[in-house]
Amino acid sequence: MHAKRPFERIDSIALEGVTRRFGDTVAVDDVSLTIEGGELLILIGGSGSGKTTTLRMINRLIDPDHGFISINGIDITTIDEIILRKNIGYVIQQIGLFPHMTVRENIGLIPKIEGWSHERIEERVKELLTLVHLPPEIFMDRYPKELSGGQQQRIGLARALVMDPPLLLMDEPFGALDPLLRRQLQDEFIGIKEDIGRTIVFVTHDINEAFRLGDRIAIMHEGRIVQVGTARDLILSPADPMVAGLVGSDHLYRHLENLTVQDIMRPVSRVCLLQATTSISSAIALMTDGDEEVAVISDGSSLPGIVRVSDLLRAGQPSEMIGSYARSPLILTPDGTALSAISGMNGDGDAIALVMNGEELLGLFTPDEVLRRLV
Amino acid sequence: MIDDIQTVWIRYNLTERTIEHLQIFTIALLLAIAIGVATGLFLYRRRRYSPPVFSTLNAVQTFPDIALLILLIPLAGIGTVPTIIACVLYSILPIARNTYTGLISVSPELLEVGRAMGLVEGDILMKIRFPLAFPMIAGGIRIAIVFTMGIVTLGGIFGAGGLGAPLQTGINLIRPDIIFVAGIWVGLLAVILDGIAGGIEAELKRRFGSW
Repeated sequence: MHAKRPFERIDSIALEGVTRRFGDTVAVDDVSLTIEGGELLILIGGSGSGKTTTLRMINRLIDPDHGFISINGIDITTIDEIILRKNIGYVIQQIGLFPHMTVRENIGLIPKIEGWSHERIEERVKELLTLVHLPPEIFMDRYPKELSGGQQQRIGLARALVMDPPLLLMDEPFGALDPLLRRQLQDEFIGIKEDIGRTIVFVTHDINEAFRLGDRIAIMHEGRIVQVGTARDLILSPADPMVAGLVGSDHLYRHLENLTVQDIMRPVSRVCLLQATTSISSAIALMTDGDEEVAVISDGSSLPGIVRVSDLLRAGQPSEMIGSYARSPLILTPDGTALSAISGMNGDGDAIALVMNGEELLGLFTPDEVLRRLV
Repeated sequence: MIDDIQTVWIRYNLTERTIEHLQIFTIALLLAIAIGVATGLFLYRRRRYSPPVFSTLNAVQTFPDIALLILLIPLAGIGTVPTIIACVLYSILPIARNTYTGLISVSPELLEVGRAMGLVEGDILMKIRFPLAFPMIAGGIRIAIVFTMGIVTLGGIFGAGGLGAPLQTGINLIRPDIIFVAGIWVGLLAVILDGIAGGIEAELKRRFGSW
């Protein structure tokens, strides 16, 4: 009754040298890309950049002319396309709810074809409506035209999740919504995303959406992938001016220019402070408890040093004192601009600095944290 | 006035004639729906045949109905059978054309989503295309109802019975009262049937309408 899944969870999806032409136009040109299990990968680019075509090749709505796509190492052309698609959720901007079916029928269509019992379908529909924040008793029996745009998009998402697919493909799902609603749905989606914890490939042309939702972002242009990386990678080291323009590297730096180091540092009250005589084992325990990557060694007298948890983990003797693993950090003054601070640090390669006012420790300054706050 | 109508009604068996008329009408319409929808479906499956088939059906449509009935005499004689054949020939076009148009004009997003969900072609046809084409098909059937009503009446002249028969009698006997009563009644029936069909079409549009 229930067809065996070709994959229970996604370890990785690999596109290798994938090319697709439409007539004389090369829509996707020799694209290679690896999507890791559990991540939300954004495909971003202008219209005609090939992002939607790339997405559609993953569930075989379109087959590539050249190249291979594999899921967990299995070439997807060897999987029955109907079974493949039942295991891949798909959400598009136009939503595509069937107008002649109620919400219940829309969500329950595939389960019904799969032969689920009426009760099981009902239960699943209720579960999914609750997940997308629509009270089932109110919405189950409505027709799509009786729903607002935002409600329709939530139903579209619920429908895509009905078979509990390990992979979700989304093509500008929030693109048709007004900015306020889009923002709200993005927020909700971030929550849902953590609940459902599955691999998602998400197409958008909105860089802010990409930064908000994406674990990694692949930038496409004229059918090719220009750069793949985290928001930070793209902002700090754009591959070319097009990427810099798209991610608004300049724009963000303009913000940084208006802010001082003190404005965006982490104040000393929230910094993990340790004695140089602390043993490595207890330092590791303290830092991992507080989810700290870096601690400051402060003995009052000498200039503070920093230790990284990664360094300590590599250290030999757990009983050794952490003082011997201290690095001398970059020192910033509180009134310098954040822009020059970050530029200097990125060149230096040592991405942590202490903010000192003379002898007094004011805070910790890491570009990661700055970016998290600005993006 | 009422008495005169009643006299004509009883004298010329208009109740029986009406039943007879509606029987022929129903048979012809059901046949036309079956053949029309099947033709539309066939042409949807084999699109390259649609231009020649629709041209042929259009040609049939332009042929005068009385001439068609006469042409059918050597093939089917006179009476109910040629009348039904004529009705069906005229009604295939609107039903087939609307079925075809309804099936092919389902919005591409819905079809894409259907395919992406893992529906097989047969499911897409039966669960998406057909229901969404219902209002369109109903519109075609409504046109066919008007055609069929007219031709069944005309068929009465060629011995098919129904309400055409008393009309023919009235014409032969130069009796305006018979022509008046039977004529108005046929017209009224057509309006009522069209009204019912219109109601069904509107309901289908409300339920299935994406148009």
